[in-house]
Amino acid sequence: MGAVIQTSGLGKQYRRTWALRDCALAIPEGRVVGLVGPNGAGKTTLLRLAVGMLAPTCGTISVLGERPAGGPGQLARVGFVAQDTPVYARMRVADHLRLGAWLNPAWDDELARHRIGQLGLDPRQRAGSLSGGQRAQLALTLALAKRPELLLLDEPVASLDPLARREFLRLLMEAVAEHGVSVVLSSHLVADLERVCDYLIVLVASRVRVAGEVSALLAAHHRLSGPRRDPGTLPASQEVIEESHTDKQSTLLVRTDEPVHDPSWTVRPVSLEDLVLAYMSRAGDDTPARRQRLGVVS
Amino acid sequence: MIEFQLDDTSGVATYLQLVQQVHQALRMGMLEPGDQLPTAQQVVAKLAINPNTVHKAYRELEREGLVRARPGLGTFVTRSPSGTDPVTQARFLAAMTDWLRSARSAGLGPDDIEAIYRIAFRNCFAEGVA
Amino acid sequence: MIRLSLLQFRVQAVTAAAALAGFAILLAVTGPHLASLYAANGISGCQPASCEHLASNFLQQLYAAGTYWVLYLLGVMLILLTPAVIGLFWGAPLIARELETGTSALAWTQSITRTRWLAVKLTVGGLAAMAVTEGLSLMQAWWAAPIGRAVGHGGNGTNLAMGRFSSLVFATHGITPLGYAMFAYAVGVTAGALIRRTVPAMAVTLAIFAAVQIAMPLWIRPNLFPARHTVIPVTSLDSISLQQGGLNGSRFNLGTGNIPGQPGAWLLSSGAVNAAGQATSTTPAACTTQSMENNTSALMDCLASHGTREAISYQPASRYWAFQWTETAIYLALALALAGYCFLRLNRRLS
Repeated sequence: MGAVIQTSGLGKQYRRTWALRDCALAIPEGRVVGLVGPNGAGKTTLLRLAVGMLAPTCGTISVLGERPAGGPGQLARVGFVAQDTPVYARMRVADHLRLGAWLNPAWDDELARHRIGQLGLDPRQRAGSLSGGQRAQLALTLALAKRPELLLLDEPVASLDPLARREFLRLLMEAVAEHGVSVVLSSHLVADLERVCDYLIVLVASRVRVAGEVSALLAAHHRLSGPRRDPGTLPASQEVIEESHTDKQSTLLVRTDEPVHDPSWTVRPVSLEDLVLAYMSRAGDDTPARRQRLGVVS
Repeated sequence: MIEFQLDDTSGVATYLQLVQQVHQALRMGMLEPGDQLPTAQQVVAKLAINPNTVHKAYRELEREGLVRARPGLGTFVTRSPSGTDPVTQARFLAAMTDWLRSARSAGLGPDDIEAIYRIAFRNCFAEGVA
Repeated sequence: MIRLSLLQFRVQAVTAAAALAGFAILLAVTGPHLASLYAANGISGCQPASCEHLASNFLQQLYAAGTYWVLYLLGVMLILLTPAVIGLFWGAPLIARELETGTSALAWTQSITRTRWLAVKLTVGGLAAMAVTEGLSLMQAWWAAPIGRAVGHGGNGTNLAMGRFSSLVFATHGITPLGYAMFAYAVGVTAGALIRRTVPAMAVTLAIFAAVQIAMPLWIRPNLFPARHTVIPVTSLDSISLQQGGLNGSRFNLGTGNIPGQPGAWLLSSGAVNAAGQATSTTPAACTTQSMENNTSALMDCLASHGTREAISYQPASRYWAFQWTETAIYLALALALAGYCFLRLNRRLS
């Protein structure tokens, strides 16, 4: 089909600050995409642009080939769970299911009831008295039961305890296994990433720093340690992401598409978590002079 | 049916952990030829991992010749004709593949390779020595 | 979406039904006695000469009894306040509550567009608003029918004797309550959409609605149609003014009684004019003698003989329904404009 989300030069400005800038993405279908970055990086903005709750200041975004919230057909293909998983506090769980059934032509009522039963939620209970984990599961059930092609989740597990978090991800992964839905999951918690995501987008300070398949990214990043060396002496094909030096030793995290032949380096693989953290901390030192020196377009 | 575990702290990629656990199970006899591996759905239900990871692991195992995916039925451990453990077989398959590659890059064609193989095979089994 | 709107409207519907039921019971209990009082005074089928007297008697009895005046006022207040309450509690939270609680992210990512969502919600709420307000108005009209008929026969002399055009009656009878209800609801929804927080939106809704409801009878309604002007003999005098300043060159105030030959008309203004047709406010010297003091009718004869007359501007009774339709149309048009703005605003993607 092509990209589930395609953006070009996408930007969103609020008064004086840019929440998102120069965002160019082409997210392939069938992936579980991790959208990672610190708080305030622009993750919520990107997701809300994708779901049509916000209009771009500049640039374009197309979701499943159409304009976000472009019409009932497009809305039916995308499921969304917002931050803090809002539900109608005074409506019962069963009423929420009715909401889903009445507003979505493709609603799978059996799936919804089955999930609610599996989760042990009482249909007669008011949604406001559910725990955080239960609310998140209800919101996810609502989003899944409309049988979307793409599911967008904004920090759905951020405020959940570890057990609730695992249960939420389990439900999500089961849905991916059964229905092949594409998922974009934003989080500022890096730990769950490798287990769940096969595509990564790192968003820091309103810009995309890294975007790509996890396997490709892991293959292209290496940790080099060896005798103290000036990073400027490295070949141009090796981009230094992170560096630390003692008086005798240098440790660098580099990105390169070619094998590292220099025998003075000990080459080790990088974990996904370390990779993300390196990009997140590097973005703090994001001056144009530095970018130019490295010959990098980030 | 075997059950997979996941070690978050080991630093080893998830799919590799699954592959290694299948190797282990074959070696220990917990998996025998003809056994079915857990479906992606079952693994995901237990471990809450990306189902693509499971597919990747099973593809790797299939590439090693240890399992075979039967569409609509599942993924099964291949039956080895003689009953030697599949891991050993995989090892030799890998060695053979490497040999074939170097033979090809040395310029030998399929007929040459087959000829060499027949001579070696005859010599080996005629002697009655492994 | 219709079913969902009704589901989410449950609480408001129950409240409205309770209010209607309570009011209905109150009126049903007291209505028949009011009607029998009217019959007892023999106003129906009265002779034209005695009608006004009989009607005034009835109204004075009613006012003296106390409870009926209180109930009448209560009913009027209820009808006047209901649109405001609807604007505050049905209109303001419609969009604002969704944005405040974040449930907009749930409501607007289902398989219907925001336009359809708002259209259905506005229709359900708007129809209910009109039904409730007009329902209260019709119930009150049924209950107060005898009073209205008495006033129609020229009954006067008490606070109960309010004509159809008086501010309180005009705003609570006929079809104007429909317009007010829809307008207040629309103001509430728009305020909620712009301000995005329920409580401030409620405050703004109240302020705007109150301002419009004050401005309409004071400045707009009288000018909806061009007033008629005529000069008539002095109809009545406010006797107090005569006593205050003494008779020498004193000013006199004209009472606002019924206009002869124009029953049920709406008196907009009245002023005294002298024989030459110029406005005046001083009593002619000849009419300030001692014999005129406390003798209103002699004073009026004296004024008439000196050519002092009353110049009035008024709206004839026949225009009552024209006023009703026009005013209601204005409110409905405003409501429609506000609703249209809400649609535009909603589709511009609020953050």
